[in-house]
Amino acid sequence: MTSQVIEGGAPSRGRASLVSFIRNILPAVPLLLIVGFFFLFPIGRLIYVSFMSNENTFTLDNFKTTLQEPYRTGFINSIKIGIFSAAIAAFPGALAAYFIETRGSSKLRRTIAVMSGVLANTGGVPLAFMFYAALGIQGYLTKALKYLGWDLYSGTFSLGSFIGLLIVYLYFQLPLMIIVFSPAIVSLRREWSEAARNLGASQFNYWVRIGIPLLFPSFIASFLLLFASGFSAYATANALTVGNLPLTPLQIGGLLDGNVSAAQLNLGKALGVVMIVISACAVIPYLAIQRRSARWQKG
Amino acid sequence: MAKGIKIRFRPALAATLLILGFFVFVPMISAFEYSIRTPLTGGYGWTHYIWAVREEDFFHYILRSMWLAGVTVLITLFVLVPTLTWLHLSNSKVRGLIDGLSLLPLVIPVVAFAVGAQISFPEFVQNTVLELPFLYFVLALPYAFRSLDIGLNSIPLKTITEAARSAGANWLRTITTVIVPVIRGSVMATIALTFALSLGEYTLTVLLHWDTFPTWVTYVAQDNILGAIAISMMSLIIPFLILTVITLFVPERSTQGRK
Repeated sequence: MTSQVIEGGAPSRGRASLVSFIRNILPAVPLLLIVGFFFLFPIGRLIYVSFMSNENTFTLDNFKTTLQEPYRTGFINSIKIGIFSAAIAAFPGALAAYFIETRGSSKLRRTIAVMSGVLANTGGVPLAFMFYAALGIQGYLTKALKYLGWDLYSGTFSLGSFIGLLIVYLYFQLPLMIIVFSPAIVSLRREWSEAARNLGASQFNYWVRIGIPLLFPSFIASFLLLFASGFSAYATANALTVGNLPLTPLQIGGLLDGNVSAAQLNLGKALGVVMIVISACAVIPYLAIQRRSARWQKG
Repeated sequence: MAKGIKIRFRPALAATLLILGFFVFVPMISAFEYSIRTPLTGGYGWTHYIWAVREEDFFHYILRSMWLAGVTVLITLFVLVPTLTWLHLSNSKVRGLIDGLSLLPLVIPVVAFAVGAQISFPEFVQNTVLELPFLYFVLALPYAFRSLDIGLNSIPLKTITEAARSAGANWLRTITTVIVPVIRGSVMATIALTFALSLGEYTLTVLLHWDTFPTWVTYVAQDNILGAIAISMMSLIIPFLILTVITLFVPERSTQGRK
């Protein structure tokens, strides 16, 4: 009994192979059912419906509309905020992860891990409140900066503007970078640095020839994940903007709630599909790189 | 030599923590200061917290969010632990497929997922709030799967299972009394992240027109802004405390999940 289940090989004879096939798949059925019904089915249907006209005939018009205004600007803004927030958070986040992982005590590392987990998930109204309190017109930081001679609000700045949103996004992007980049740092083994040193490498040599080349793929991968996170963030943008900044997730939300009416009923679905495609362009390379580096990270 | 490096670079750690701390705590403390203001008397007090806790809806929504998160955790553990154990023991061909499937939710933006969910499910699913734990399960799947996978990878699973089985334990017993305790670090990490994710989920919940604790905050903000700030502060602190408690109870070695 035990060995059959454990080995699960496929005997060649008819009935036995059927039994073994069932054995081979049965334990996965609950997972496959849930993922199939609650995930693959809605996504499949989303894609299918995005090609439907109002009369339920096949059409590409929904997608043509996604490339027109205001949806075009929505995509450009969303991609821009994804790239900028990832670019600004990536290097400081990586550096912070490095110092915390290599110099921090184990207690500190665990505390930071828990905090990053919570902070990377902050968003929406609570996050908006924190930034209104700090960087709003009456915010503490705003007042402090004004005292130091920098009036934040002298120009067009507001928390609901592109720059404002970018700053707020960093609040969850930085912790996210620390979370996704830390495993790469942990797997940089001390032996490698010692080996390099024994062979006569300086600290600089070690970093240029070993450290950075080893960490670079993980860095790019983390950047891609951060991009996807900034690109598709909804709650925070929804709490901070008042329709002044076109962003794709907000436009989809508006169409879904019926706040915005469009001539094409299935436009929101097409926008969703385009979002999936853009997000996939970042997340799939991220996963591929992670898988590759997992080989040497496993130890 | 290594020690020398350590001491030389400690200022770097201190600077890192200082900058991060500034960025993290200035907005947090600013909002906290707002939440303890009492505009009527001009001083400070816990008025808004007391107001929030006295609201009938407060416990209604916090309990609702908690039990939804609890159900999500149960689904995650009941489905993933046996499935992953089996995947690790057998050389099933579906392994690659399931690995890939488990990561797929990372690719899909939550907003797009919400649109798909809204147009797909039959009425009897859309009418029950119990659809949420299953959807939260999907959102947490990439992390939960990875975390348990690492845990099972780091133990001699085959030996342990064979020992338990030959000592007469059935599969249920083997999983609940042998495997789960051995990978408790991973299990706790999975519980923590699934629970936290479910407790704070906003986008999917609001787009599917459900009310939970995070969406209630938005609603309160419309007529009592300081009260809403107080609730927001609590919504940050509660998951933080839960996660801290969970991670503190796990011995450090097993949380690492590495060989």
